[in-house]
Formats: sequence, C-alpha cells, structure tokens
Amino acid sequence: MSEVLVVGSGAAGLFSSWLLARDGWPVIVVGKGTPSSAMSTGCLRRMPEACHEKALNFLADEGMPMVTGERTGISKLGTPFECWLSPSHSTWGPEGAPGSVTVVGFQGHPSLHPNLISSVLGHQGIRARPLTLPSTLPPDIPLTALFRDEGAWEGVATEVQRTEGGTVHLPAFLSRRDYWRLDWLERQCGRTVLEAVTPLEAPGQRLLDLMRARAIEAGASIWDGRTVTSLTVENGSVRTAIVRGGLEVREMEVGALVMATGGALVNGLGLNGRELVDPFNAFKVLDDGDVLRGGYATKEGRLVSRSGNVVRNAAGAGDCVRAPCKGYGDGLPHAFESAWTAVKALEGA
Amino acid sequence: MRKDVLIIGGGATGAGIVRDLALRGVECALLEMGDYCHGASGGNHGLLHSGGRYVVTDPPSAMECAKENAILRRTAPFCIEGTDGLFVSLPGDDPSFADPFLKGCKGSGVPAEELTAKEALSAEPGLSAEALRCIAVQDGSIDPFALVQANVDSAREAGAMVRNHCRVTDMVLEGGMVVRVKALDRRSGEILTIVPEIVINAAGAWAPQVAAMAGCEVAMGLDQGSMLVVDGRLCGHVVNRLRPPSDGDITVPNHTATVLGTTSRPAASPEDVAPSRNDMELLLRETSAMLPALRHCRVVRAYGGVRPLPGRGGRGASRTFSLITDERAGNLLSVVGGKLTTYRLMAERVSDQVCNALGARAGCRTRTEPLGPPADEAGGSVALARLRRKYGFKATTVSLADQRMLCSCEQVLRAEAQMVLAGPDALTLSDVMRRTRAGMGYCQGLDCALSLQELMMEAGGTEPLASLTEFLEERERGQALASGDQLRQEVLRRHVLQGVYGLGERE
Repeated sequence: MSEVLVVGSGAAGLFSSWLLARDGWPVIVVGKGTPSSAMSTGCLRRMPEACHEKALNFLADEGMPMVTGERTGISKLGTPFECWLSPSHSTWGPEGAPGSVTVVGFQGHPSLHPNLISSVLGHQGIRARPLTLPSTLPPDIPLTALFRDEGAWEGVATEVQRTEGGTVHLPAFLSRRDYWRLDWLERQCGRTVLEAVTPLEAPGQRLLDLMRARAIEAGASIWDGRTVTSLTVENGSVRTAIVRGGLEVREMEVGALVMATGGALVNGLGLNGRELVDPFNAFKVLDDGDVLRGGYATKEGRLVSRSGNVVRNAAGAGDCVRAPCKGYGDGLPHAFESAWTAVKALEGA
Repeated sequence: MRKDVLIIGGGATGAGIVRDLALRGVECALLEMGDYCHGASGGNHGLLHSGGRYVVTDPPSAMECAKENAILRRTAPFCIEGTDGLFVSLPGDDPSFADPFLKGCKGSGVPAEELTAKEALSAEPGLSAEALRCIAVQDGSIDPFALVQANVDSAREAGAMVRNHCRVTDMVLEGGMVVRVKALDRRSGEILTIVPEIVINAAGAWAPQVAAMAGCEVAMGLDQGSMLVVDGRLCGHVVNRLRPPSDGDITVPNHTATVLGTTSRPAASPEDVAPSRNDMELLLRETSAMLPALRHCRVVRAYGGVRPLPGRGGRGASRTFSLITDERAGNLLSVVGGKLTTYRLMAERVSDQVCNALGARAGCRTRTEPLGPPADEAGGSVALARLRRKYGFKATTVSLADQRMLCSCEQVLRAEAQMVLAGPDALTLSDVMRRTRAGMGYCQGLDCALSLQELMMEAGGTEPLASLTEFLEERERGQALASGDQLRQEVLRRHVLQGVYGLGERE
C-alpha cells in the first residue's frame, strides 16, 4: 500500500493525517514552515459542522483541557471574543461572565496592555483595574524568560492577592506543558484566572503542538523542514512526488495526496501580483479577486486538474481550498471541515 | 480671546506664517482641523526642490525654489537630507529638452552640472545603463512632518497659540469684517471664540470652504497626485526624469524608504486622495525605467494628496502662490498655491503684508533664525543623531535610559513615543506615528499599534478604540493596492485587527 502524502503540517494537514492514520492508512506529513494555525488564537470561533465530535476527540488533552459551547473571552485588546472551543482558561460560558477584572501586565512589555484593556473593558461596563508589574524585559523576548523559577510565580500570586477581588486577566504565554500553572495560580490566590485571547503568540503554537502530538500518536510520520517540489499526475491520478529537505532529495510513490498547504498568507499558494496561483502548476485555482477566500477548486473534496478533470486520489483541505464563507476567524473551523471532507473523499475512492 | 492674527490651517504655509509673525512679535493663533500636514503638506513625496523641475516650464517657481532650498538647508538642516538630485534622460525622451534645461538652470540660478555616463553611474550605481544624459542638481529630501512641527514649536516658543484638532465652525461678520471666529476643539469638546484683527486662510485645498464661511469665494484647482512607498533606499539621490513634467518622473529616498511619484488628475474634493491601481502600475513602470531595481521591490504603501493650485489647476498651472482678498470680508486673506519648498518665502510675503496692515514694523527673521540643530553637531552619539533627524531641538528631551523598541520596523524607541505624548500635539495614534514613524514600516502598525495605544493610555488617553480604528483605517487605505508579500502582510494584519480584536468592519 503506497503512502498517503499530506502536504502541509498545519491544522488541516494534521487533522487529515490523524483521521487517516486512525483508519489504518500509512501517512507522511511534509511541512516546511510556520503554518497559520500557529499564528492563530488557538480557539475555534464556530463549530465545524459535520465533524465537531471528531474535532473534539482530536483536540482532547489532559494538560490543556479544551472547553466548548457558547464561550466568551477577552481579546488582547479588551474586546469580547466569542468562540466555540478554547483552552479552559481562555473563555467563560453563559453563566460565568466576570463582574470585575484585574488586568495584569508587565511594564513596557507588549504581552498585555493593562491600561488599554481596562479602559476598553470599562466601556463595556466591566469594572477593570490595571496591575502593571515592573519589568525591563525587551519586547521581543517572550515572558517565559521572567518565569524560570518558582519565586517569580509566587511573586505574581502575592501581587494578585493584594488587589481587590475579581477575575485575573493574564498575558497568554504558557506552553502546553506549563498550562497547569494557571490552575495552580487559581488555587493559590483563590481567583478565576483568565488568559487574554492572543494571536501570533503562545496559544496558536500550543494548539499546533497539541495537534502534532495527536497526529503522531495516531501513527502519522511528520517530516519537518521539507518541501514537496513537484508532483506528477498521470491518467487522472497523482503518481509520484519529489520531496526536498536540506541535502536530501527523495522521489516517492504517492497512494493518495492531501493538499493542505495553506493559503496566500503562509505562501501555500503563490501570489502573482494579487492573483492566486498553484505553485505546482497542477491544479485549478479560483480566486474571484479575493485572496482570502480563493484557493484550489474542489469537487466533493477532491482536487480538480488544470484541465478541469477531477483528480481521483487527491483532495484539498484547509486555507488552500476555495470556500464561499472563509473569512476572518474562520480559518480553523474551515480547516477541520475541509479536512473531514477530504478524508471522506479519499476513503470513498 | 483677542488675537491680532488668526491663521486657519496648519500645513507648511500656515505653520510658516504663524512662526514668522510670532517671531516679529505679532500676537497670533493658528487652528488646524486635523493634525498638522494633514493635507497636501503631508500628502507629497517629501522633496526639497532644487528648482530643476521648473526651469523650463515655470522659471519664477524655479528661481524661488533655488533660493529657498539654500535657506532651508541652512536653517532646518536636521529634517533635510542633502542627497542631491539627478535629472536623467532615457531613450525615447525628447533629446532637445536637455539643452534648454541646462540653459534654464543657469537663467534661474539653479546650480546644475552635466555628468558623463561614467560619472552618473558611479554617483548612482542603480541607475539604468541606458541613461543618455544626466544633470546633477541640488535636490534633497525633507521630512514635512518634522519641518512643520519645528515651525509650530518655534512659534509657540515665541508666544503664539497653536492648536491642532481644532476645527473652525463659524465666522461672524460685521460691517464687511470678520469679527469673531468660532472653533471646536476635539480634545476638550469646548468651543473657542477668537476675536481677530486679521484672518489668514491657509487651509490649502480646504481654502474655498473656509472662505465660504465668510461669504467669499476662492477659485482653486484641485489636483490629485499618487505616490508609492517602497521598502528600503533604492537610490542615493533624488532621481528625476529629464523631460517636461509628467507622471512617474521622480524617486525620492527619505528615511528608511524610497518614495515614487507622482501622478496628476483633477480631484473632486480635498478628500479625493485615493490612488488607483493604474497610478500604481504607471509609477512602477515609469520609475523603474530610471532605476531598474524598482521592478523587484516591495511596495509598502500607496498614498495620495490633493494639490491646491491657483486658478484652474492641472500640470500646466504655475506652482507660485497668490494672495486673494475679497471686499465682502475685508480682513480675510486667502493664500493659494505654492510649494513645500517655498513655504517660508510665502509665509514671509504674507507676514509682510499683514504687518503692513497692522502697522507693525518688525522685519522677517525666518531667513536666518534656525528651526533646528545643525545636522552634524559634534559631540553627540549616533542614537542622538538619529533622533535629531526626527525631532530637531527636542531630540535631547528623549530619555535614552530606556532603550526598548516600540516599533521594530522603523526602530522607534518607546521613549520617543513617550516624549511625543508628553507634548501638546499628539491626540491620536496617527499623530504619534507621523512624528515618530512608528507604524510606517512593513507591518503597518500590526506590531506596535497596541503598545503605542497603551502608552497613550498611560499618558491619559480616553478613547482607545476610536483612536485605534482611525489609525487602522488610515493604514488600510494605503494597502488597498498591496500585492505579493505586502498583500500577505495585509491579510495577516486584517485577520488580527479585525478578526481577533474586532476593530473596524467585521465580515
């Protein structure tokens, strides 16, 4: 049995690999860089229709429990952030809205802006107080540098206990491994501890770490730092791929292919001016002038060749697939849904 | 409050006039509806003209430019880069233009020297190998925001009242004179009433609207021009096309970027500044003929401005200025036209006339009085020299104790923004950006907007979302034509600011 080659190691690629590997397929994931899932907030803004139970199963984690339903959190700007799935300390459910909030930031560090957030929360009728802790940490060094020892955590707990009650709003900087610290802090100071919903930082990265761990557990191999440089399509099927990485060049037979390369944002699709193009020059791309929504044309999950024929053993998933509704905040749900459709299409074939 | 002179409009013209008058001891005030330079004084390519551009078509303008260029290099060296300029002709350009050009330079007192092909390439290695003739002139680049701010600071020091974000709403006339002017201060929401002897309308493209408040008419042609900002300095000189003034004939290196300019079309209103895709393609095509590297550059931003030209406007219109009076409001003087390079001269002439009318005798001091420190002042650190380029005399008030960066694209320190915020002029995020350059780079504020807003909150700001939204919209206007890597950056920026933070319009 030839391998299923999954091109792209972001949310769509990893969820497809997990689904396929669990069904017993040999899966190789090739990933070249930082996927947009790692830049996300680590939350899903809406329920991925059709596959939400699978998605929950995929994202189940003891260290960083995920919660679902109608959830609301506070963004790094202080604005309300509504979502369907998030790590437990990012959001509250219908009953749990905080009456008052202490916003904790570190002076001069961009991880969280206490005065800004307090003001924005104030305009929403939430009583909020800034708590700026002293720091000389340069802005480009993550906050983890301040928390290498137990004493630093004790210090924050003490500072927080001094403020008058309410929920504690913290910068989001903990890795998946250290997530338990938030429970510890909650116990230590007897307050609800909430992380800011933060893009481009730790939450996206730890969601990615979680998804990678789950795909590997299920049996998928992840080849990092490699690029698929060309694909051959014969008689309506993908036959071979050339994978390059460092000094290694490998030509492999492809049993089935999942294209999960991401959209224009992460260079998964090329940009010729403002026009989306397929870097492999193999499949049809449609963009209607909208870089955000455009992507590979698919027919019931399967990719379409440049000449317009359905490619039997190739499917597309995630941001590289054209979708009518894909917009701001819809990247992750779309990744899950399209990965589910892609896997079903391949398994049906 | 009583003032001898009220100036409406805080562009280069208005700021130049208020400084000139204040230095002569005239009690005056200036009101600007937005931030200083929010019209044509900010919406240009930041060129300090040698005069070369006008020697053939408009010699009086050329002469004025040449004189003022020399004065500004002396009095405001901190915000000027003496890059010098080249006028280059390419195959296909009218070969008979170069000789009248050289002759014109001589006639107008514009220093010029023809270079051989070899000399030209060694002076500007990125120049097209096809360049036929190349004439060196004394063009330079100038930071209009720093220049105008320095005029404002100097005027204030001399006792003038200068306020931005203060919009004139109403003029009361009695006996054919403007006796009271009302203005709304956006900061406090209070209505100011000023009782002036003389009102100077220096509102640029908005001058007809200001004049209309006093029942007067000002004829003006509005002409839109587009510019592109390209990442990095792709030329050492200002590079001009040696041909009659036309679209896409100039590149100006300024700060960390290169500005490509300009285009020309009639504008429907002062706000009709938006560049089109055609403008962008035209500018890239035309300027890359002179500097081939521009074909592969990253366009960080496109922007536009509206030139307020006397009469009916257009490329053919003279770039000199005129003073318009109207008997319906005897003490209202409208200033129309002119150029950034000659703003000081314009201010001097207007001030002469005003002083005459007021019976004040003091003479103009702006020809010699420095606006900022010399560029190569000895004894300072490199860090201080960088700050001097943006803040002039105020550079020394930036505390260098905290060396942390705020904007990594443009290498702006937190302390710079703090200094600006401690002053009276920065109300919005965009105001801080114009002064510090934070947010002008690749990421167009994605990285620094929130940190900047936090500094504003520490300094007593009150409306963070309004300020951020305004900033976001302004940056977004410049991204409407983004392509390639800059388009990726823009998609990410919108995902974060609109998608996650819910700023601006949500889809």
